[in-house]
Amino acid sequence: MLWIAIRMLTGDAQKFYGLVFGIAFSTLLITQQLTIFVNLIERGASGVYNVSSADVWVMDPVSRTTDVAYAMPSTALDKVRSVPGVEWAVPHLRAQASVRTKDGDLEGVAVIGVDDATLIGLPKSMVEGSIEVLSQPDSVIIDDVGTTRMFPGQSPIGERLELNDQRAVIRGIADAIPSFTSTVVLYTKYSQALNFVPGTRNRLSFVLVGAEDPLQAKALSERIEDETGLKAQTRDEFAQDGIDFIIENTGIPLNFGITVALGFIVGVAIVGLTFSLFIRDNIKQFGALKAIGVTNAKIRRMVAVQAGLVGLVGYGLGVVGTVFFIWGFSSNPTFKGFYIPWQIPLISLVAVFLILALTGWLALRNVLKTEPASVFR
Amino acid sequence: MALDLKNLSFSRQILPLIAIVGLLAAVAFILAGLPDRELSEPGREPPRAPEQLAAEARVAGSGVVEPSSETIQIGSALSGLITGLYVQPGDRVGEGDLLFTVDDRAVRAQLREADAAIAEARAAIVEAESSRNTAASQLALYRNVEDPAAVSRAEVIRAEGEATAAGERLRLARARLDAAQARAGSARTEIARLKVRAPIAGEILAVNIRKGEYVSTMGGGGAQPFIEMGQTSPLHVRIDIDEEQAPRLALGAPATVSPRGASDKQVEALFVRAEPLVVPKRSLTNSAAERVDVRVLQVIYQLPETNGLFRVGQQVDAYIAAEGADQ
Repeated sequence: MLWIAIRMLTGDAQKFYGLVFGIAFSTLLITQQLTIFVNLIERGASGVYNVSSADVWVMDPVSRTTDVAYAMPSTALDKVRSVPGVEWAVPHLRAQASVRTKDGDLEGVAVIGVDDATLIGLPKSMVEGSIEVLSQPDSVIIDDVGTTRMFPGQSPIGERLELNDQRAVIRGIADAIPSFTSTVVLYTKYSQALNFVPGTRNRLSFVLVGAEDPLQAKALSERIEDETGLKAQTRDEFAQDGIDFIIENTGIPLNFGITVALGFIVGVAIVGLTFSLFIRDNIKQFGALKAIGVTNAKIRRMVAVQAGLVGLVGYGLGVVGTVFFIWGFSSNPTFKGFYIPWQIPLISLVAVFLILALTGWLALRNVLKTEPASVFR
Repeated sequence: MALDLKNLSFSRQILPLIAIVGLLAAVAFILAGLPDRELSEPGREPPRAPEQLAAEARVAGSGVVEPSSETIQIGSALSGLITGLYVQPGDRVGEGDLLFTVDDRAVRAQLREADAAIAEARAAIVEAESSRNTAASQLALYRNVEDPAAVSRAEVIRAEGEATAAGERLRLARARLDAAQARAGSARTEIARLKVRAPIAGEILAVNIRKGEYVSTMGGGGAQPFIEMGQTSPLHVRIDIDEEQAPRLALGAPATVSPRGASDKQVEALFVRAEPLVVPKRSLTNSAAERVDVRVLQVIYQLPETNGLFRVGQQVDAYIAAEGADQ
């Protein structure tokens, strides 16, 4: 009987493909736009996620994100080290600087100074070179996306830059997620960074902390705040701060929210219209089925199977389309590090379910009211 | 829904299959593409609090290694060319050992002049003595003549005058000798001042002068010290403690100290003293215009013998127990 329902559905190829297209299109729209949205605002947290070993970030109470930070006196490091439960703490400098390239161009860069002795604060992996190059004088490591912006089509290794009248030589490329603004990032030692960034009184932007017990990072951050008067955020909290900062200060959530809503509305409109047309066309067949004694419950199940098949095919094609999109652009530096969070396909699955449930229910109302006699009219 | 090849329908069988396979592939892609946000252990050992302080109240500070005598910047009392340099960095010297000599030719010439003046004065003394003797014997001769008519009164007065004058000349000559000797003595002192000697026993840390260079006592802007030395056994370490943390510090407790870059090599350093003066924090940025508003209490600890692990001027990280810790 259910097989009949499926034959009934695919009998009219135009309507079937129309339904599948509607579902596939709204799935694609919702999934792909949500994916780009999530990845875009997570760029606000990339500075935090690039540092892979810090459990807690300590900063001045007015600092908000990795890029909006107010520097602290250098003794803040010792204050943090004095707090019980802190296994280690290292200085971390983040500042904006202007760099003059070999051609004389001026480029704004972010300079990140990592602890001299331990190099904590560098990204986890390198594209080219090793982190040991920082032990050579005047060395900097550039991030891979910055390479494509600053040195398109050539290797930056060995290039000389001028930072605050100081010579800097690029000796490595780091594998890092770019920031929201895709600023070129130069990693160097803390003591070098002090020379590269024009001097202000206080220079220490962050103190990176390793917890004795990483599971107790939240309690540790509260203790650091109590004892030092500084602001301490766990890694996840601070990543969230970066995301919130972008949500508060840009129109991105509204923009993408509108597109996602449009996807949903388009889905409801196309699918709803086609589905109800399809049911109305087949109302005679349903009447005949009723005439031979098929119950309403069975008819409901038949329509559910029809909706399920449309949903399965449409949803599958939509998700595959998104995967192809992300996969196809993965080599593009703008989309570096983009991924599909596993929650998003589930969200679009729920959306597809809602679309089909809504339109199916609307279409079924007529069928259930149909008299078996209507087949003879 | 038996599979019948004749009845194989694209929309009924192949399309759902494509959708399912596509979904499975998408799930694999999504799971494989999830970003790696695992926390990792740092690759190199960062400075950690010692085990006995890990969960205790503690104070952390950073500091610089210095000689137990503090660094002595050897100066020169006099300006001039360097004619001899007798030490190099790393040498151990005893108190009073010669470090370097400044050109002493001019002073030696003065000494020779003074020596000549001494010889001259000695000769003048001899000459004055003999003329005094002559005058004295002449006067005695006149005095011994008993007949007053035999010698005129004027002769006697002249002889008396000559004797007195001879005595005065002798005193003058002696005074000249004293003056020449004093001049010679001062020239010898100058010569000694041109030889710069070690004020204490210790190690030469830096030599910034070379033979033939001119050392000036005027101390022009940014002049380097000529020679830096200090007692390096034992070494001391000067730990800066933020003034806000200073009241918590357990004065007298030992400190756990590790050098930058070798934080796994921790040693225990003994308390020596706390400087009575709280000073502005020196940030070691080598910037010309350093402005600070952080003040630090400097506490001195004595490092154990570690065979080259610590060197003068090296930065260190330190952990010290706070008041109320179980130590």
